[in-house]
Amino acid sequence: MVFDTVSLTIPATAGHLAILRTTVGGFAARDQFTLDQVDDLRMAVEEAAVQLLRQSRGQRLNMDIETTDLGVEVRLLAQVDGDDPIIDEGSFSWTILRALADDIHVESKAQRATITLSKHRLTIPGGSAERDSR
Amino acid sequence: MSTEDRRATTKLLFTELRSSGDPQKRDQLAKLHLPLVEYLAKRFKDRGEPLDDLIQVGSVGLLKAIDRFDLDRGVEFSTYATPTIVGELKRYFRDKGWAVRVPRRLQELSLRLNKLVAQLTQDLGRAPTVPELAKAAGVSEDEVLEALESGQAYSTTSLDAPSGDDDDAPMRMDRIGSEDSSLDNLEHFASLKPLIDQLPEREKMILRLRFFDDMTQSKIAEHVGISQMHVSRLLSRILEYLRQGFDGDAQY
Repeated sequence: MVFDTVSLTIPATAGHLAILRTTVGGFAARDQFTLDQVDDLRMAVEEAAVQLLRQSRGQRLNMDIETTDLGVEVRLLAQVDGDDPIIDEGSFSWTILRALADDIHVESKAQRATITLSKHRLTIPGGSAERDSR
Repeated sequence: MSTEDRRATTKLLFTELRSSGDPQKRDQLAKLHLPLVEYLAKRFKDRGEPLDDLIQVGSVGLLKAIDRFDLDRGVEFSTYATPTIVGELKRYFRDKGWAVRVPRRLQELSLRLNKLVAQLTQDLGRAPTVPELAKAAGVSEDEVLEALESGQAYSTTSLDAPSGDDDDAPMRMDRIGSEDSSLDNLEHFASLKPLIDQLPEREKMILRLRFFDDMTQSKIAEHVGISQMHVSRLLSRILEYLRQGFDGDAQY
């Protein structure tokens, strides 16, 4: 089973965040991530989405999940007012995201804020062979 | 009806039921032993559930016992049925611990997976993946995912509640010990400090271990003596609490 990209757009309200969490969890779980990592990713996406929601001026929140060589990359995007960074380095959110994801990238440009999270797959002995056979 | 008579009638009915499969015999057996169900249900009546409901739940256990009882074993039916009925009642209360109504099938799978996760984590030296879990449990990956999702609905309301999902697991607060949980690294998040101060010691510790000491959930689980899934639920809950605190209406 090989995944490419999954895209999802939800209304920019807190009540819809569970959909993002569930989707990213389902995606990662099917891709050789350990349960720890799946939960990490779900929590990271939720944290990032909450931060976007707080500053979002738009109606929608967009999420792209992509399989990469190393693991998965999740990109969350929302419309914002200014071009200030959506999360300050050194903030509590940043600390949490840094613990949960292997790589974080935050960008605000042309009133669009993006948070990109990467989570690396654990190298499991025999894991790739197992994946190929499915 | 005397105890002797009831025993004799029970034997006779079972013999007839096994040879004919007549559902009426099953009903008669159930009626005959309803007093046992009532007696056992009363033992659970102080837990806030209507007695009628408990009797109904216990009756399910009774019917299961009737279907499984083997006359040749030489034990009295009431002796055989009691643990089955009590088991059904206990399970009913256990199910009540689920905040969101989750189908029994998923609850059971979720509890089973919880045990498998612990076992596999030990065997592998890391948390298992969903494919590994599915293989070990003999179910599909989708079923595992569904059950894990439903496991999130399990309410973890009290620190004094038994840890893990095993009914008989000991309380683990005592295992946390007097380790340093000063959360030094958290000090400079001044606005969060009052919120964190309100967290129970175990939650503070889990927060620190995961986000500041970079320990995996599995390791934390081992360290604190609860399941990985429980750690995951607690972490989600702690973060949710801190976010609400940010918005000014926190209550842990």
